[in-house]
Amino acid sequence: MRTTADRIRTWLLGTWSLLAILFLFAPIFVIVLFSFNDNQGRFNFTWQGFTLKHWKEPFAVAGLGEAMGTSLLIALFTTLIAVALGTFVALALVRYRWRGRGATNGLVFLPLATPEVVLGAALLGWFLTMGLVRGFVTVLIAHVMFTLGYVVITVRARLEGMDTHIEEAAADLGAGQVTTLWKITLPLLAPGLAAAALLSFAISIDDFVVSNFTAGQTVTFPLFVYGAARQGVPPQVNVFATAILVIVVCLMFANLAWQRRAARKEGIPVPEAQPLGI
Amino acid sequence: MSEAVAPAPGKGSRGRGGPSLRRRRALIPLLFVLPGLAWLILFYAIPIVSQVWVSTQTGNPDDGFVQTWNFSVYPDAVSEYLPQIGRSFLYAGTATLACLIISFPLAYFIAFKAGRWRNLMLLLIILPFFTSLIVRVVAWQTLLTDDGLVVNTLQAIGILGPDGRLLATTFAVIAGITYNFLPFMALPLYASLERMDRTLLEAASDLYASKITAFRKVTLPLAAPGIFAGTLLTFIPAIGDYINAQLLGTPNQFMVGNVIQSQYLTVRDYPTAAALSFVVMIVVLILIAIALRFVSTRQLSEAAAA
Amino acid sequence: MAPESMDLFFEKIVEGDDVTRRSALKRLSAGAAMMSGSAAFLAACGGVEGTSNNDANQDTDVSHPKTAIGTLVVSNWPLYIDEGKGGKPSPTITGWQKANDAKMKYLEDYNDNEEFYAKVRQELENDQGIGRDLIMPTDWMAARWIEQGYAIPKDKNNVPNEKNLIPTLRKPPYDANRNYTLPWQSGITGIGYNPKKCGRKLTSVNDLFDPKFKGRVTMFSEWRDSAGLVLLGMGKDSQTASKDDYLEAINKIGEESSKGQIRRFTGNDYTTDLAKGNLWACVAWSGDLVQLKAENPDLEFLIPEEGAVTWSDNMLIPQKAKSPYGAETFMNYVDEPEIAANIAEYVNYFCPVEGVKEILTKRNPELANNQLIFPDKATTDQLRQYPNLGAAADREVTAAMQKVTGS
Repeated sequence: MRTTADRIRTWLLGTWSLLAILFLFAPIFVIVLFSFNDNQGRFNFTWQGFTLKHWKEPFAVAGLGEAMGTSLLIALFTTLIAVALGTFVALALVRYRWRGRGATNGLVFLPLATPEVVLGAALLGWFLTMGLVRGFVTVLIAHVMFTLGYVVITVRARLEGMDTHIEEAAADLGAGQVTTLWKITLPLLAPGLAAAALLSFAISIDDFVVSNFTAGQTVTFPLFVYGAARQGVPPQVNVFATAILVIVVCLMFANLAWQRRAARKEGIPVPEAQPLGI
Repeated sequence: MSEAVAPAPGKGSRGRGGPSLRRRRALIPLLFVLPGLAWLILFYAIPIVSQVWVSTQTGNPDDGFVQTWNFSVYPDAVSEYLPQIGRSFLYAGTATLACLIISFPLAYFIAFKAGRWRNLMLLLIILPFFTSLIVRVVAWQTLLTDDGLVVNTLQAIGILGPDGRLLATTFAVIAGITYNFLPFMALPLYASLERMDRTLLEAASDLYASKITAFRKVTLPLAAPGIFAGTLLTFIPAIGDYINAQLLGTPNQFMVGNVIQSQYLTVRDYPTAAALSFVVMIVVLILIAIALRFVSTRQLSEAAAA
Repeated sequence: MAPESMDLFFEKIVEGDDVTRRSALKRLSAGAAMMSGSAAFLAACGGVEGTSNNDANQDTDVSHPKTAIGTLVVSNWPLYIDEGKGGKPSPTITGWQKANDAKMKYLEDYNDNEEFYAKVRQELENDQGIGRDLIMPTDWMAARWIEQGYAIPKDKNNVPNEKNLIPTLRKPPYDANRNYTLPWQSGITGIGYNPKKCGRKLTSVNDLFDPKFKGRVTMFSEWRDSAGLVLLGMGKDSQTASKDDYLEAINKIGEESSKGQIRRFTGNDYTTDLAKGNLWACVAWSGDLVQLKAENPDLEFLIPEEGAVTWSDNMLIPQKAKSPYGAETFMNYVDEPEIAANIAEYVNYFCPVEGVKEILTKRNPELANNQLIFPDKATTDQLRQYPNLGAAADREVTAAMQKVTGS
């Protein structure tokens, strides 16, 4: 039974939602648009015509390509380490009971709730105290630290939704724990791992605050932008930002499609609440 | 901490193998958890606590600092930077409220009305945040610039005076924080609304005459955990934000994060910076402790990773 | 010389305070170099243990033999070198590479003196290299590097073009014989403004405080620039002003800031806001304004009637540089009048090299007559230098300014 009042309410809600999403996209629109701006001179904030030249020469700005390379490398290592460590933590949390589980849960959660500036400051203070010279490695350490929690939570969610019968059957058939883990659990977990990897990669590559504290002289992409912002951000920055966005979205859709196919094969209904595979 | 009980540990309970094997099995979770846990202890827990060590040193950046257990740095730093600390809470609070006002209808629409657009809309909420924070805030600078489209429009319709501006105002800073933390509110809200039992809502609208009463008595209470988690996850990180104040504000809008940042990275007054950041951490821990009386870590952390 | 640093020195030695002897020595030498206008003191001080390698007066017998350079890493301020046409690399860089059969990694990551110093300090203290062969600190920061022993003296045989340096820049107080540094460019801290937006021509420093410009004014967070200029506006000499004078000026800046007159405190990021039209008037660097005119022809640079502040950024070889020889060849290369002219033509700051004006008179007469690039005596008479307050007073003033800039 749908009344006129109902329809008006839905319409109002829809309009509000549309406006909210427009708000979210306003700066994104600017970023993408100005990657095509044919800017004259050194600034890029008034529209002066369409061009593809910045897309053709993304490395024309000295240091930008290198910063992007550093960011990609850090994000890659961060992802590998965080997923490796986080998956086992999640396994321990879901599949076993042991003393300290509660505390571990808390410790996994805390970094997610700590303001970034505190994470950065604490790490910097610690590195200074330990005499550890800041650079690539310290940024990596920091990124693994704050992505670990995301990995644990993502993998944990997948683990809990997983049917344990196959694992039990494998164990009954005499497979050792390691074999079961390697041959059964991890493959079943794969979509969750992919989602966790994607998430840590995306978080790492975009991080500014913690990197700013821990990077020393290492320049990542966000740090480069921060430095360049003082003199006017070159359009190539918009090119890279847009490119990252497009790539992440493509990866997300790919993962989503993969998850759906895997789910269909297993005969499990598609998890509705995980549109991003997160 | 209240914990949902995990699914039964399939293998350990079968009783196959002798005691030595069982003991070995008991070691497995420890082995699994050790590397990750060690990482978090070494690079999260200890650094946070070590702030106390750094903060109680005295000296100056040129000649170095020595440990003197000077705890007076805490009252000194807090009283000296009280305006910035106050602003952090005020701005974070206002922005959290703004996030709630913007996201509740949005989350409600996605959960109940969006139909097949649901996943797409969720994607759209998260998508902007896959560009770097800095790039986004710089884009806002461009949008809000004094002679820009937004300001000119607002001036034309009389919301802003002819001399009015948006950039370098409190409004811009709060708007920036609201923007950057919106998903932290919207997603937990959505999750709690989505989980709601629809038959309850139908029953409610049968029982109560008006939709408004049904909303107030049923939807809102059921959405409370989401509101709670969202508020916490927006408010806490917003307290420490400094980029928005830095790029969209003036010194009259600077927050405690700005102080920590510049004391650590430019002035090199490490004790003051460490003291302030430890104070912020304590406040955060208190907030989380209060929160845990109402929701589980579980709900919170899942909301955080949503 | 600085009596307080001497007192402090003995105090520390006698009392065995927790401040180490080494740091007391450092502080002594810091005070010394700050006050090093007095050559007699420096001579007397030359024998003090631990400072001999910092002594600015000692003639160096440094030798950096000619070796393969490999890749020279240079950190400079952004937009501070000529640019090739259509985004090509700087002709100065490519020219140097060709002449020396070497490569250069030219980084524009020297954005702020204190920030850069904070960034590399850990390595400096650990006696490690900072991955760079040449950096461009401003005078007072160059002084700090030299005092702390973080700079490598240069082999003057590799820099014969040093003779081209204009006389006024040959003997800066912190490096009296130019044993460590050579100026890259000099400039003026004055006022940049948009007469159209302001509605009138500005003349005085105090015009920055015109209530009509509320919220459209910025200043540098660096007190040597901002407070120096404000002091001149107050009728005081920024070069000889005392710590208390500076604190007073900072106090005034603080009042204006809390009134909302001052929009932000910036580093070199004011240029974006100025070009966008967000600013009507601001404390600015001369060369920037010449460059910004290309973006927005309305903009003007003003040397206020009360005077303006002048400074130099200096080439300096940081400790453990991979190729001091390579750095010296670059120093030498850019002090070649032809090359200096190319850079001057692009960056539009004071050129520190003699003979450049003659070259540019032929090439670009308008530029050669620009007071901001080749100031005449009337202009230079209006210019004052940064003060020498001593390390402790320096920190105090820095802290006061920090409070005003809100962080």
